Amino acid sequence: MIEFSLNGKKITSDAEADTPLLWVIRDEFGLKGTKFGCGIAMCGACTVHFNGSPVRSCSLPISAIANAEIRTIEGLDNQHPLQKAWVEHQVPQCGYCQSGQIMQAAGLLATNADPSEEEIEAYMSGNLCRCMTYARIKEAIQDVAGQSESVVQIYNPKRDAQGVS
Amino acid sequence: MTRLRKDKIEHSRRRFLIGSVGSGLLMAFAPSINALEVVTGGASEQLAAKSFSPTVWFEIDTQGKILVNIARAEMGQHVGTAIARIVADELGADWNNVEIKHVDTDPKWGYMVTGGSWSVFQTYVPMSQAGAAGRTVLIEAGAKLLGVNPKDCSTHNSHVVAGDKSISFAEIVKNGKIERTFSPEELAKFEPKSPASRQLIAKPSQALDIPAKTNGTAQYGIDIELEGMVFARPVIPPTRHGSKVTSVDDSAAKSIKGYQGYEILTDPSDTVQGWVTVLADTYYAAVKAGNAIEVKYDLGETANVSEQDIISQGETLAKDKTSGTLVVEKGDIAKAAQNAKTSLESVYKTSSVLHFTMEPVNAAVEFKDGVCHVHCGNQWQSLFLPVVAKAVGMSDDKVIIHQYYLGGGFGRRLAGDYMIPAALTAQAIGKPVKLVFTREDDTRFDCVRSPSVQQMNAYWDGDDKLLGIEHGAAAGWPTMAMAPAFMPEGVDKKGKFDPFSIAGADHWYTLKNHRVRAINNPLAQKTFVPGWLRAVGPGWTGWAVESFMDEIAHKQYMDPIDFRLSMLDASGKNAGEAPVSVGGAKRLAKVLTDIRSQTNWGQTLPKNQGMGIAISSGQERDMPTWGACVAHVEVDVESGKVKVHKLTGVLDCGTVVHPDGALAQTQGSMLWGLSLALFEGTEFTKGQVKDTNLDTYTPLRMNNLPDLDISFVQNTEFPTGLGEPGLIAVAPAIANAIFNAVGARVRDLPITPEAVLAAMPS
Ligand code: FES
Ligand code: FES
Repeated sequence: MIEFSLNGKKITSDAEADTPLLWVIRDEFGLKGTKFGCGIAMCGACTVHFNGSPVRSCSLPISAIANAEIRTIEGLDNQHPLQKAWVEHQVPQCGYCQSGQIMQAAGLLATNADPSEEEIEAYMSGNLCRCMTYARIKEAIQDVAGQSESVVQIYNPKRDAQGVS
Repeated sequence: MTRLRKDKIEHSRRRFLIGSVGSGLLMAFAPSINALEVVTGGASEQLAAKSFSPTVWFEIDTQGKILVNIARAEMGQHVGTAIARIVADELGADWNNVEIKHVDTDPKWGYMVTGGSWSVFQTYVPMSQAGAAGRTVLIEAGAKLLGVNPKDCSTHNSHVVAGDKSISFAEIVKNGKIERTFSPEELAKFEPKSPASRQLIAKPSQALDIPAKTNGTAQYGIDIELEGMVFARPVIPPTRHGSKVTSVDDSAAKSIKGYQGYEILTDPSDTVQGWVTVLADTYYAAVKAGNAIEVKYDLGETANVSEQDIISQGETLAKDKTSGTLVVEKGDIAKAAQNAKTSLESVYKTSSVLHFTMEPVNAAVEFKDGVCHVHCGNQWQSLFLPVVAKAVGMSDDKVIIHQYYLGGGFGRRLAGDYMIPAALTAQAIGKPVKLVFTREDDTRFDCVRSPSVQQMNAYWDGDDKLLGIEHGAAAGWPTMAMAPAFMPEGVDKKGKFDPFSIAGADHWYTLKNHRVRAINNPLAQKTFVPGWLRAVGPGWTGWAVESFMDEIAHKQYMDPIDFRLSMLDASGKNAGEAPVSVGGAKRLAKVLTDIRSQTNWGQTLPKNQGMGIAISSGQERDMPTWGACVAHVEVDVESGKVKVHKLTGVLDCGTVVHPDGALAQTQGSMLWGLSLALFEGTEFTKGQVKDTNLDTYTPLRMNNLPDLDISFVQNTEFPTGLGEPGLIAVAPAIANAIFNAVGARVRDLPITPEAVLAAMPS
């Protein structure tokens, strides 16, 4: 039995200890926004925040997350500035990779509110988009990064995860 | 994806029904009725009974909300938005009141009749006509309520307007009992609105499916949950065809918590041969059980086939001038070859390519009340519905395929083969089953893009005048494997060929003598199921044609753009035909001229950098999208590595219905072109693809994103497709740029650093 917090709610799971967090989130708690792509931590479709930092939930056994704060795309409550930018820039095509892209980008902006182009490329290159929406992902991130820092701070997932409001 | 003509015909023979149903107004296409059939009831009654075609229908409710219902595959092309905008524009609707719903099939329809893909090309006219019919009816009803002559009315912003009087669509729907049927002939009389009077088409807009794809609520096939379902994973046999299970030992799986057992599948449709599925309470337990279980097989005959075996077979066939089916036969190429003073021969190859859709294939199946319900994302339900029916031993009308968002199509989900093992397993255990392929399972079961070999020959006379070109293309054929009914006869009437695997070889350059042979590679056909992969045949024929045109230009000491222009005279069959290909090769010449000035072609570049040009005419001659691409590359002469600095694309697809969607599709397809040129490609070893996951299969990522400069020729011609044409010219443009940069001519895809080094002039 493992206890952790999922999008701010304390929960327990009795899944086998080696079960990747991805399947617990999706099939035990029904949050389907986090996706399965490769299963080997190389596509980023399954990205969630673990104590505020992006991790690949397909390769993270739940035994490793006892008492951790986990946040999924649903936990952004449709309020993150990146989500608005994603709509404005019409980023998604099939959309399957985009939860992971947004969670990864949110992780970037939480630690580096105004990343350079190179920093964006380096941080985002672990996230594959088979529809190749890279140009728009980059533009959307740059757009939010260009906004005043306070806008980004409002939904700083790291700070949220630590329970500071 | 490739257009299939059948779809167009179905549309043109449909009636259109408009009627009050409940408190709303419903509009839908219905099958045409011939004189011998009896129509029961008026439009309203037929609509209420849902006896209409389920592919798309519209509702206006008493609040004025317009709901466009679409039973079609949404895989990133925002197809619903494009269709809804065509209809809404003709209706004169307020876009803010338009919503899209991707619907399930109603059992009353039996099954979804959806063939091929739904492109703007196919739907532009029928959807415009549907909208115009709706507008006519709303105006008639509105005029009556306003007490004015319908002739004095127009629609705007969801209102019927006559001078200073107006009434909203909502009021009309609330007040009027409406009932109208338009015959196919009446429908055909509606002309699409003139470009000047359009309110929505070609104007900026946001795609309606996008918000759900930014917050995790969009539902894909893999997200389905069925009451009481069991999770399953396949154990993929060593060969695609002919494997037989001889023994199964699941002792190691038994200790896995939640493991329920396995099934050996017997498939009357022969889609899956030698398959076992493992079952468990959770998907992860099924994954582990799949790894733990030991299955022994009698192997199929292709158990030792390698990529090189397939390529060698292709080389032999392409070389043999008598092989294949003639697809283009102009002039007398044999005579030209005989009389030639000089000639050039080049062989171009492409390796196997994976679809690698981000969402691995999956399907959930449930048998309920004598009906087999299949839940999954699929591009072409009518193709595999009968196969599912055959596999489970039921009639076609007892199978329903429910549609969801597709986590990528690219042609992979035209095949519905992944539904079969799910259906067989659910039937065997008598419980709903959700079968999910791991990434490795998905790639090993992929219908890959076949390796191809193409032989090109050019001949010149004593005055160095180009006499003609001969082109033989050998590959595995998807249409032969999955939809042989769509294969036409060759021009020599000596056999059938896969039109989608040779399209592009019948290009728009005017040649005196031109022969194209489409050659099936039987070893490819045996070893795997060749798939349609984004751009299909033009993905490899364009590679050969546009690389070879460059080689010819250089041999003639001509600028590659000047040379191409000299051949694009739009004479004879290359003049084009109204409306779809009006202008013909002239429109290719225009994109070439545009891109020349746009890229400052001919400018001096730093050492080891170069620009290359290539053109394409889309998926096929009767649906041409005209395009040119210039690649700007830099070659590291030490390592042979190629860096693409910039890709410029100029496209002419007629009227751009959904401009931002068109741009997005072209960004995606051009980057696919780049990915296929430099980063992808796998090979068969022992009858299986070698690369099964991202540790060794390496599609383009953001760190290799070049600058993109994409523009569309502004005109009001008939709209053609955009999902794929952007892809075709990219690889040859890159290869031609490499040649201009360092003098290395590469002829194999993907272009590897080793191949560049080997081709460098010493
Ligand atoms: S599914 Fe986790 S990184 Fe691909
Ligand atoms: S939008 Fe389709 S994979 Fe990224």
